[in-house]
Amino acid sequence: MTDGGAILEARGVTKVYETRGVETHALNGVDLEIGEGEFTALSGPSGSGKTTLLNLFGALDEPTRGEIHLDGESLAHLGAAALSDLRLRKLGFVFQAYNLIPVLSAIENIEFVMVLQGVSAGKRRARAEDLLREVDLEGLGGKRPLEMSGGQQQRVAVARAIASHPRIVLADEPTANLDSETAARLLDLMERLNADRGVTFLFSTHDPLVMDRARRNVRLKDGRVVADEAKTAA
Amino acid sequence: MPLELRMAWRNVWRNPRRTALTVAATVFAVVLVMVAVAMGAGTHEKMIEDSVRVNAGHVQVSGPGYRAKRTLEQYLPFDEQTAQRLFAAEGAVGVAPRITSFGLLSQAGATRGVAVVGVDPLREGSVTTLPGRVREGRFLEAEGVREVVLGGRLARVLSAGVGDEVLLYSVAYSMESAYELFRVVGILSLPEATMDRTLAVITLRDAQEFFVYGDRVSEVAILAGDSGAVPALAGAVRRAIGEGSAEVHTWRESMPELEQLILLDDAGMYVMLAILVVVVGFGILNTILMAVLERKREFGVVLALGLKPRAIFTIVYLESLLLALVGLAIGLAIALPLILYLQAHPIPLTGAAVEAMALFGIEPEATWKLKPLNPLGSILTILGVAIVAALYPAAKASRARPVEALRSL
Repeated sequence: MTDGGAILEARGVTKVYETRGVETHALNGVDLEIGEGEFTALSGPSGSGKTTLLNLFGALDEPTRGEIHLDGESLAHLGAAALSDLRLRKLGFVFQAYNLIPVLSAIENIEFVMVLQGVSAGKRRARAEDLLREVDLEGLGGKRPLEMSGGQQQRVAVARAIASHPRIVLADEPTANLDSETAARLLDLMERLNADRGVTFLFSTHDPLVMDRARRNVRLKDGRVVADEAKTAA
Repeated sequence: MPLELRMAWRNVWRNPRRTALTVAATVFAVVLVMVAVAMGAGTHEKMIEDSVRVNAGHVQVSGPGYRAKRTLEQYLPFDEQTAQRLFAAEGAVGVAPRITSFGLLSQAGATRGVAVVGVDPLREGSVTTLPGRVREGRFLEAEGVREVVLGGRLARVLSAGVGDEVLLYSVAYSMESAYELFRVVGILSLPEATMDRTLAVITLRDAQEFFVYGDRVSEVAILAGDSGAVPALAGAVRRAIGEGSAEVHTWRESMPELEQLILLDDAGMYVMLAILVVVVGFGILNTILMAVLERKREFGVVLALGLKPRAIFTIVYLESLLLALVGLAIGLAIALPLILYLQAHPIPLTGAAVEAMALFGIEPEATWKLKPLNPLGSILTILGVAIVAALYPAAKASRARPVEALRSL
C-alpha cells in the first residue's frame, strides 16, 4: 500500500471519548500505515473517525488503546514538550479553516515554524519567498490573513506546512471552505509538491474531488477501516 | 524584534477599543496615584516644616531628662562656643537657644497661666517663624529690656495691647518666687490655637535673669536645610555635643502626634489607592482573559505547529506587560508635568479646611512634592499588578491541549 517506507503507523488504535458518563467509540482497533511519498485521502461519513485519526497521527491527541508510530518510533509515553518538538520537526498541518496566525503577515506565517526551528533570519526569509512563489502568491507576502481570499490563505497554509521540510503533511478537510475552482487549484498545487518535491500528504476529506485526485483512498466507517484502495498509475 | 514580542504587541492592538479602555483605566490610575502620593508628600512636608518652624526646629538639644520633666532642673550650659559647634554640624542652617518654663501673667484684673519662652532675638528667626508672625507692634530686640511679645488670643483675654505693662509671676531656678513687670511690644498671630492662647515670649537674657538661670538654657533648637537630612543632622549634633552631656531629639520624638497624624493620613490614602490599583488589576485581568478565551483555537494551532507551552505563557505575559507599559507611559507623560505645575503653584484652601489645618499650625495650602520614589513606586506597582493579573490567563493559555483548542470553535 505504500510508495516507500512507513512514515506513520496506527497499530490497533482505539479512541473513546467520554462525555457526561457516555462513551463514544470514535475509532475501533484501526491498523493503518502511511508510506513515504503517498497522496492519500481518509474519507467517510461524519463521525466515522477521520479527524480523530488525523489528530492521533498528528500527535495532537492520544489513543485510548493501541499505538501510533512515527518513523518507527512510538508516540506513547512522550511528554508534551517532546510531542511539540516532534510536530515541529516532522509534521506539517493544513487545517480546514486555514488557521493562519492573524497578527502575522503571509510571509511571517510561513516563517513561523522556521523561527521555532531556529533557522537564521536570512535563510528563512529566502525560503519563505521561494515558497510564496511556489504557491503562486509572489508579492502578497506583506498581506495579513484577513486581507486575503480563502484560497490565498489556504495556499499560505500549505506553504507554511512544508516550510519546515516535514516528513508528512496532514490536511484536515483542506478544500471544505473553498469553491470548486479554488479547491481544484489547491489540489493542483499539492499534487505538484508531491510529484516534484516528494512531499507526503494525508487528507481527511468529504470532498469527491480530493478522493478523485488521491492515489490511495482509505474509507472509514464507525471508527473502522472498511476500504483501502490504491489507484494504479494511468 | 523577537517573535514572541512581535506577536504580543500586535495581539494587544487586535481589539483597539478594549485595549484603549484598559489603557485609559491604567492611565487614570497612574495619574491619580502619582498626584495623590505627591499631594501627600507635599502636604506632609509642609505640615512638618510649618510645625518645626513654629515650634522647636527639626532637632532639639536639651539637658538630660528635660523632655520627660520639662522643668528648669534639666538644663544645658550654653555659650557662644556651643552655638558655633552646633551651627557647624553638617546640615544645620539655624541654631536658636531658648528657655522654656511656666508662669502666671496678669494685666489689670485678668490673670492667665502662660508658657514663658526666652529666645535670642538675633538667632530665633534662623530657626522659627516667630519674628515674622507679629501682627501688631514689633518682635523682641537684642537690646530690649523686659519686653514681652504675646500670642494674639492671650493678649485678647488679658485685654493687653502694645505698650501695656504685664506682671509675670513664676518660680525661679533658685526656688524663690520671681515676679517682674514686662512691657508688651508685640502681638503674635499663631496658627495653633493653644499656642496663641498661652505663649509669652521674652528675651533669653531677661529669662536667664528672671529665672536666675545663669548661662543655662532649656534647649537649643536646630533647623535642618532639608527635612530629609534630619537623621544625619541629629547624628552630627550628637557627635558635636558629646554623648551623655545632653539629649538630642528629632521632631519625630518631640512631636509624636504629628508623625502619627501623617502615618494615619498615609494609611487612609494608601488604602484608597490600593483599592484603585486592584480595580485596574481586574481590568487588565479581564482584558487578557477575554483575549485568551477568544484565541483558544489560535493557541491550538500554534501548539500544533510546535510552539512550546512556555512560549505561549510568555506571549500572554508580554501582552499584559505591554498593556501596562502603554498605560504607564501615557500616565507618566500626564502626571509628571501636572505634578511639577502643582508643585510650583500651591492651591490656597478655604472653608473648613482652613480651621482644620490651623489646629496643627499649618498654613492652609494644598501643596505637592514630586519625590523620585513616587514615579518609581507607581511604575513598580502597575507592573506588579500586570504581572499578577496575567498569571491566570497565561497559565490557562499555556495549559491548552492542541486538540481541545482546535475543537473549541
